[in-house]
Amino acid sequence: MTQPFLSIRNLRKAFGAFTAVHDVTLDIPKGEFLTFLGPSGSGKSTTLYAIAGFQDPTSGDVLLQGKSLLSVPSHKRNIGMVFQRYTLFPHLTVAENVAFPLRVRRRPDVEIKRKVADMLSLVRLENFAERLPAALSGGQQQRVALARALAYDPPILLMDEPLSALDKKLREEIQAEIRRIHRETGVTILYVTHDQEEALHLSDRIALFREGRIEQIGTGEDLYLRPATDFVAGFIGNSNFLAAEHLETVGGTSTIRLADGALVSGISANGSFERGQKTRLMIRPEAFRLERSPNNAELSVEIVDVAFYGERRRIVARTSAGQEIDIRPTSAALAAQEVAASRRPVFFDPGAAFLFPA
Amino acid sequence: MSVEAQQGIATPRIPAGLGGLLPALMLIGLFFVVPVLALLLRSVTDPAPGLQNYAALLGDGTYARVFFNTFLVAAVVTIVTVLVAFPVAWMLAIMPPALASILFGIIILSMWTNLLTRTYAWMVLLQRTGVINRALMGAGIIDQPLPLINNLTGVTIGMVYIMLPFMILPLVGTLRAIDPMTLRAAALCGASPLAAFRRILLPLSLPGIAAGGLMVFVMSLGYFVTPALLGGTSNMMLAEMIAQMIQSLLNWGLGSAAAFVLLVVTMALYALQLRLVGARRTTGGA
Repeated sequence: MTQPFLSIRNLRKAFGAFTAVHDVTLDIPKGEFLTFLGPSGSGKSTTLYAIAGFQDPTSGDVLLQGKSLLSVPSHKRNIGMVFQRYTLFPHLTVAENVAFPLRVRRRPDVEIKRKVADMLSLVRLENFAERLPAALSGGQQQRVALARALAYDPPILLMDEPLSALDKKLREEIQAEIRRIHRETGVTILYVTHDQEEALHLSDRIALFREGRIEQIGTGEDLYLRPATDFVAGFIGNSNFLAAEHLETVGGTSTIRLADGALVSGISANGSFERGQKTRLMIRPEAFRLERSPNNAELSVEIVDVAFYGERRRIVARTSAGQEIDIRPTSAALAAQEVAASRRPVFFDPGAAFLFPA
Repeated sequence: MSVEAQQGIATPRIPAGLGGLLPALMLIGLFFVVPVLALLLRSVTDPAPGLQNYAALLGDGTYARVFFNTFLVAAVVTIVTVLVAFPVAWMLAIMPPALASILFGIIILSMWTNLLTRTYAWMVLLQRTGVINRALMGAGIIDQPLPLINNLTGVTIGMVYIMLPFMILPLVGTLRAIDPMTLRAAALCGASPLAAFRRILLPLSLPGIAAGGLMVFVMSLGYFVTPALLGGTSNMMLAEMIAQMIQSLLNWGLGSAAAFVLLVVTMALYALQLRLVGARRTTGGA
């Protein structure tokens, strides 16, 4: 077995009676862009801080190329980090900020000068070298922070919600920059965010955190199309949960009864359920169809509202059991007036629906 | 742009405001400007018109020694105060606000306690048979009592204690404005704690150190009670000399000249501080 590049082993961190991280184990290959996604307080930042050396874990280990980092103080870990808040040194110019990690490493002046120029061109701020941080916008400051964190070619770059203080347009712009820089430098990136769209755009893999544990780890597609739990299904993308009673599971597919009495079979089994067990059926809003097609299940709904969202329409509908669901057909699929009819059936592929315990 | 515009609008109001300022200006004139002018006048007329008082002050080796000693004590007190105040201020800046305000209360309370009482308390602690010497001898650390009083050591200890709040308060303000995350960033950049202190924390806290340091230095220059009680005869300071000249020798001319020299030095230092702080603000640094 080959040794993983960065390895987190049974990491646990307790603050008094509160346990922020319960048990996190994770292997990260070199060059990967891995995102820690999760709601606030789920332990993702605490895990990142343990790697940075800001917080000693209660137990567990962090190994870089097989060697434990825990006994190494922060300033000797040789890790790059971009923080949530702007942490540029306010009394130093942009160029001096980027040069700082090289100066404390006592690199020769010629090398520092060349590296600073390289880094500023990497983040496209060549013309801002002599400015003080206060004279830069928030987005520019974070790009300088990125240049500073990469100036000493760290094997790992940690990013702790670096875009959360920026507005939406700037966020998307810098996301593209981060992707490009990851591509160009090949640095291993661990990225923390609570924004699932950001995670989906940027990452090779996503580790979804919940209450100090990793709920699921995989590519964005894995988490979106094959959620392991209802928490994952609810956190990534939009989802509808319908109350259902499990009847039987045979040969990898389940049959259930919905609240309105309709039977649905052919659902991909996801765990094992008892006969009669209360469950929840998850269906993505875009998985609903307005036209009948073979093997699709049918759900009778009452249309409550139709809104136009550009490429898609958003339909709010109510099942006969009184539950509101979200349906997002493409706008081309039908004209608005056709769905205005108050009661009609909608259809979904049972293979694209998931069954979770209630 | 907007600042200029506001100033433009505000300009015509100043003559109207002068009338309201008149009582305050009269008070300052009567109780501050007039006495200082009288002092200056006395220094060049008493006992006879001329600059002989200044010539005597600046020409005489004994007086020069007192001037030198005054600046030496003020400088030593300022340096020691900065060294002691910095860690205290840093602790106050990063500790939880509720706890910090209790400690602030204690520091302010010490400022409200009578100066003489506090200085006499130091005499009790520092003298040959005082608490400190007896404790150290009792513990077997020293055989002979340390000379802690009636010398530069005694003056420094007593004055640093009194000056500390004046250093801590401006410094805490400056240190609180520094984001602790900046220091974490410095650590991850590879800066050892010492390098982070020298290259980041110290430069960022310089405005506070300069403001507090200059205030302590200027206050120390004119200090009387503590040097008189804890100092020795060989290291007399300017304020003591002025008191002696006027009280014992009744030499008002020489005393006035010495007081005026002290005033000019103080004002020069104050102007320097204004320039330094002003310059730093306009460049946008720190």
